[in-house]
Amino acid sequence: MANIISASHLTLGYGNNDADIIKNANFKIKKGDFVFITGPSGSGKSTLLRSFYGQLRPKSGNLLVGAQDMGKISKKKLQELRTHFGIIFQDYKLINEWSVAKNVVLPLVIAGYNADVQETQAKRLLKHVKLSEHADRLPLELSGGEQQRIGVARALAKNPTLILADEPTGNLDEYSSNVIWDLMENANEQLDATVVVVTHRIPNIFSIPYRHLIIENKGIYEVH
Amino acid sequence: MKYIKEHIMFIFPMLAILLGIESSMVFDRMSRDYEKDLKADYSMLVLANTPMKLSGFQQLDRRISSMSRIEKRTIVQEMAQGMSGISAEDIMQALPHFYTIHFGRYLDVQEIDKIKHALVASEGIEKVETFGKSHNSSYHLFIFIKVVLWTFVGFMTFTSLFLVIKQMEIWQFSHRERMQVMEIFGASTMLRSGILFKRAMIDALIATVLTSGLFAFLRFVWIKQSHIDLLMQKEALLFAYEDIAILGGIAMSIVITSVIIVVIGSKERKL
Ligand SMILES: Nc1ncnc2c1ncn2[C@@H]1O[C@H](COP(=O)(O)OP(=O)(O)O)[C@@H](O)[C@H]1O
Ligand SMILES: [Mg+2]
Repeated sequence: MANIISASHLTLGYGNNDADIIKNANFKIKKGDFVFITGPSGSGKSTLLRSFYGQLRPKSGNLLVGAQDMGKISKKKLQELRTHFGIIFQDYKLINEWSVAKNVVLPLVIAGYNADVQETQAKRLLKHVKLSEHADRLPLELSGGEQQRIGVARALAKNPTLILADEPTGNLDEYSSNVIWDLMENANEQLDATVVVVTHRIPNIFSIPYRHLIIENKGIYEVH
Repeated sequence: MKYIKEHIMFIFPMLAILLGIESSMVFDRMSRDYEKDLKADYSMLVLANTPMKLSGFQQLDRRISSMSRIEKRTIVQEMAQGMSGISAEDIMQALPHFYTIHFGRYLDVQEIDKIKHALVASEGIEKVETFGKSHNSSYHLFIFIKVVLWTFVGFMTFTSLFLVIKQMEIWQFSHRERMQVMEIFGASTMLRSGILFKRAMIDALIATVLTSGLFAFLRFVWIKQSHIDLLMQKEALLFAYEDIAILGGIAMSIVITSVIIVVIGSKERKL
């Protein structure tokens, strides 16, 4: 299978004068992979994900995402690339002025689908994450676990090729965490999405095969 | 309350710009109208040794738009009656031809002098008399006020534009989260700034309606009881329907410019 992410001698950092956060890393993520990335707090897990969705350009080395060279990608191309991603944040990043239903179909709004499509898709997605009865509420009226399910539903809205999740269950209780992991497994198995999840702990019960990358001393290594 | 305040902070500078521009347009119309009156009043008297045609005058200066010959026969006949031995025909022969010439537009003192010199220098023309110089000082006052007004309006527009952009930045700040989330999901600049656009458009529309409304009120209501004769005859100058389109167009361009400045000027912040 083709690589969806490929890094060679990848070095990441914020300012040119600041210390490197990831240094000289080499790894590949294939289409269809389910990858956990772990590492101590402050080791650069979020930083690495940012480079995948183009908020941070490589300081040196090479990073290919899709067929795009992330060091050179244009604004326009990046915009297009992002429409194929489903990104999930630890703090959900929902639009709090919008209803739950509208939040869930944000990727469809961006793609320019009409209101009818948006409505039917919102129904389908909310049913999928078991939040149908909350469609018209505002995100802040829901619990953390429920908000994150909205975040996941939003990430899945347009059948993403690549799901990038940054500690999606970091703030959640066990029940909500399990629901989220089920949804992720399902996206990988049923929808053929490549999934990259940053987490501080790999769940005990995980029913599908996965890979595990660890960030240590600025390097990225595969755990077998 | 906060909502109203935010809108007022946008509408006020917008109003300042539009009121300034509308006032300048009104003043422009008045000075053009005044020029027209001046032009209609203005003429030169030319004494020529040989008969002249309009085309002959126009060859000397193209700004000359019409001429009329002054009939001297009556005067000459009266003169002849008082003098023995000289016939009216003799006097007619001796006297030059008199013409008044008019111009296609208003001329200032320099232009008049130039034309006068050109006419006198030509063969056959003996003398040129100009009148109407008394108009000139008030005309210059008009020009002066116009320059002052435009400078003032220009300055105010510039300052208000800053306030408009500042307010737009405040809006953007309060919608920053939303716009960033949209950006992460691949929304175009246009789509992301849609909310700013919509708000600003509404306020621009309100400012346009208020400004047009005020001047329409001046023209249709206030003027009738103003007892300012000078204005009462020229009420149409105070407001024209196409002003609404011009003001609306200007308001829209301000909105578009400020959205572009604010949105393009902001970089993607890391979530
Ligand atoms: N926007 C930023 N600007 C500068 N430094 C940052 C920024 N974000 C994170 N860092 C630094 O990068 C390092 C890695 O951070 P991060 O990727 O958030 O770690 P993790 O997600 O593994 O906890 C930390 O030292 C952090 O202080
Ligand atoms: Mg992190």
